[in-house]
Amino acid sequence: MVQYAIRRIMQFLFVLFSLTVLIFILLKTMPGDPARVMAGVGPTQATIEQIRADLGLDRPLLVQYWRLVSGLFDGRLKAITYHKTVWSVILDRLPATLEVGFFAMAIVMIIAIPAGLLSAVHRGSLVDYGVTTIALLGISVPVFWFGLMLMLLFGVILKVLPVCGRGSVVWGLSFLTLDGLRHLIIPAITLASVQIAMNVRLLRSNMLEVMYREFINTARAKGLSEGKVIVKHALRNALSPMVTNIGMELRSLYAGAVLTETVTAWPGIGRLMYDAIIRQDEAVVFGLSLFVAATSLISYLVVDLLYVYIDPRISYD
Amino acid sequence: MLRKVIVWGIVSVLMVGLVAIAETNVPETPEANVGGTLTVGLQSTLSSLDPRLVNDTYGQHVRNAIFDGLLTVGPDLQVRPYVAKSWEIFEGHTIFYLNEGITFHNGEELTAEDVAFTLNWIVNPENNSMLQWIFRWLKEVVVVDDYTVDFINEPEFTPYMPQFVTLTMGFASIVPKDTVLEMGNEAFNLHPIGSGPYKFVEWKSGDHITLERNEEYWLTYPNLDRVIFRIIPEASVMMLALESGEIDVSDTVTTQDISRLRKNPEIEILQSPSLRYVMLEFNMTTSPSDDIRYRKAVYMSVDVDAAVKAVYGDTAIRAYGTTPPILWSNDVEYLRDYVALEENDEEAKRIFAGLKAEGVIPEDFKTEIITPNDTCRRQLATIFATNLQQNGIDAEVRVLEWGPILQLLGRSDADPTLKDVHQVVFSGGGDGDPHNMPYFQFHSDNASLGSSNNFTWYRNPAVDTLIDKADTSTDQEVRRLCYVHAVRIALQDYVHVPLAFLTITQGVRARVHGFTVNPDGAIGLCGPYMNVWVEKQ
Repeated sequence: MVQYAIRRIMQFLFVLFSLTVLIFILLKTMPGDPARVMAGVGPTQATIEQIRADLGLDRPLLVQYWRLVSGLFDGRLKAITYHKTVWSVILDRLPATLEVGFFAMAIVMIIAIPAGLLSAVHRGSLVDYGVTTIALLGISVPVFWFGLMLMLLFGVILKVLPVCGRGSVVWGLSFLTLDGLRHLIIPAITLASVQIAMNVRLLRSNMLEVMYREFINTARAKGLSEGKVIVKHALRNALSPMVTNIGMELRSLYAGAVLTETVTAWPGIGRLMYDAIIRQDEAVVFGLSLFVAATSLISYLVVDLLYVYIDPRISYD
Repeated sequence: MLRKVIVWGIVSVLMVGLVAIAETNVPETPEANVGGTLTVGLQSTLSSLDPRLVNDTYGQHVRNAIFDGLLTVGPDLQVRPYVAKSWEIFEGHTIFYLNEGITFHNGEELTAEDVAFTLNWIVNPENNSMLQWIFRWLKEVVVVDDYTVDFINEPEFTPYMPQFVTLTMGFASIVPKDTVLEMGNEAFNLHPIGSGPYKFVEWKSGDHITLERNEEYWLTYPNLDRVIFRIIPEASVMMLALESGEIDVSDTVTTQDISRLRKNPEIEILQSPSLRYVMLEFNMTTSPSDDIRYRKAVYMSVDVDAAVKAVYGDTAIRAYGTTPPILWSNDVEYLRDYVALEENDEEAKRIFAGLKAEGVIPEDFKTEIITPNDTCRRQLATIFATNLQQNGIDAEVRVLEWGPILQLLGRSDADPTLKDVHQVVFSGGGDGDPHNMPYFQFHSDNASLGSSNNFTWYRNPAVDTLIDKADTSTDQEVRRLCYVHAVRIALQDYVHVPLAFLTITQGVRARVHGFTVNPDGAIGLCGPYMNVWVEKQ
């Protein structure tokens, strides 16, 4: 187990290094000149050159690469357009994304597990058709449109929830205040919508597979109640791939956050990424891409290590 | 070389001196209407609250409330006093006399030291301010006494009217010298202290900025208890927030929502002609766009009236020249009657065929209508490309993001990569003085490597002379005639197909009073000519 963990950490470091190179190459091949964007319309070439020199964009590519990497790790790399360090920009926005991500995940669990379970247990029934149809809709409907419809319904027509924004924040978190909690609902549901649908379908197919296995027949033969058979035996086995999926979905959550946060005016790192790309703030794009990549990689690692506890058949020794 | 002093006789007029008397007109508000919170929706995340650093409209909405400028623009678009109560113009320099008793939010008095510090910081190349080029006429500001400053011009610039307009813009707002030096630039940017009507309270990046009333404001008693600027990047969501009452003012209204919102008695749609000009501009340094016949044929390929109406609805008006109709130097009638071209497909086809026969347009000629990636300009480019195809020119639309388009257009006219760039749908913004548009669009100063405004690379000594003369005169009629003729010459060369002047459209809840839309789009809440108030909820 320890050897496996060390090997995976070494892999993690290698992948991270490769990503720094890859992201840097992508940044440098992106059309446009950050100095010119920063200068806006109108400046003289001298001003643009001055900005370029200040940002180190006139230095050899290797020097620029090292400046970004070393600046990121020693915390001194400054965002081009935000007038503060990249880390402080990211950390400012991170709690908002984690909070909405956590709530979205909770909504996914609360809805997807019972819905997937019901659908599998009552296979071929109206409930099953209803759940799978809604799940299909959930996957097909664009997040952008779904968010707008929620705002229109709950914010404008029913006037029970705020349309957008984050509301009152205490210690960097919204859900600690009633106003903040009300603001959290629409972004969290919007972000959760696609994941709910995917997880319902995943759990349903896992359950159907498990329900026909012999150990389920054995459990029934032992005289266990159907409820116990389903929850204690079938569900536990069916959940394992779902945990993997949710671990992998951190990446989807980040990707979903770009859209959801832009639509719902939620000030998280998804919107930060969008703004930074539009403004060609390569320091923020570099730092944020690496941050997202690193946390996603860590989540995969954690999920792999957790397998041992979830599924006793798996061992890394 | 930038503008040399042209006629020193004109300068002698300036030396006589020009003194403006403070004449502000803040509307009185019944006491019962003082108080409440106003929430303003902004479409973009702000990058800076320090007025010395950037020149973006979104930040300007907020900075206008926190800071005071040296001068301002009145409702008649003329330069008016603000922090400076009067001024005198001399050869090569201008003396400004400041109002006394103005205090910053931290209680420090605003003096000549603060004015000099602010402007000298901007023009110092080491500080790398984005505003440096705007103040390129300014060498330094010297403190004469506590309430008098002397603006020394760079030798090649005589004091000329456009420079006063730059001092009315929000980016010429005054920051407190001692506080900035004590806090440092980074901390000051995050916790700005000005002398304006509202004090900074908090800035939650990407979410909102909160301000509260400056009880000690020198000019008047600001009506609102608090002002909250909320960032809502998605325009359709901004409209929902306006309808639900979550915001009281939206800094923009989407074209497709205007008619629906007009039916809502709770919302008022306010519009003002703006100074933003949209045009199709031609590259004058490459063939065939350097040929006036090609440019006229492109113009004649499109019904510009119909195109502008179809694309902008009632959020823009047809443009016939570079000068907006709201400015005193506009020449709409002449340009409409004698310069603008009607759609004439037959004539356009005939010209294109003739140019092909002469070899000016190669047989395998393909061209692109380059456009930035915004919906309206993309649609305009599509209309041009479609109509050109119908008239025998193989044209297609090429959409570029803002960064790449600036990089492309900022190249030197000698750059070989520009030879395939024939026309671009672009836009330009003016200010309260007619100088900006003709100077940046048509003056040779802006048509060479080292500048990035005259994207047509148009050079015409007659136009240069007229613009220089206009810029150095204080006689409004002389200036008007010079600008009018400069623009006529350039547009009779069909350097542009003028398309539209955009209208600034803002949405306001019915509970908001005293709110007006400024032609530059920047939201003003309290100042020499306004004091917004809200009905209690």
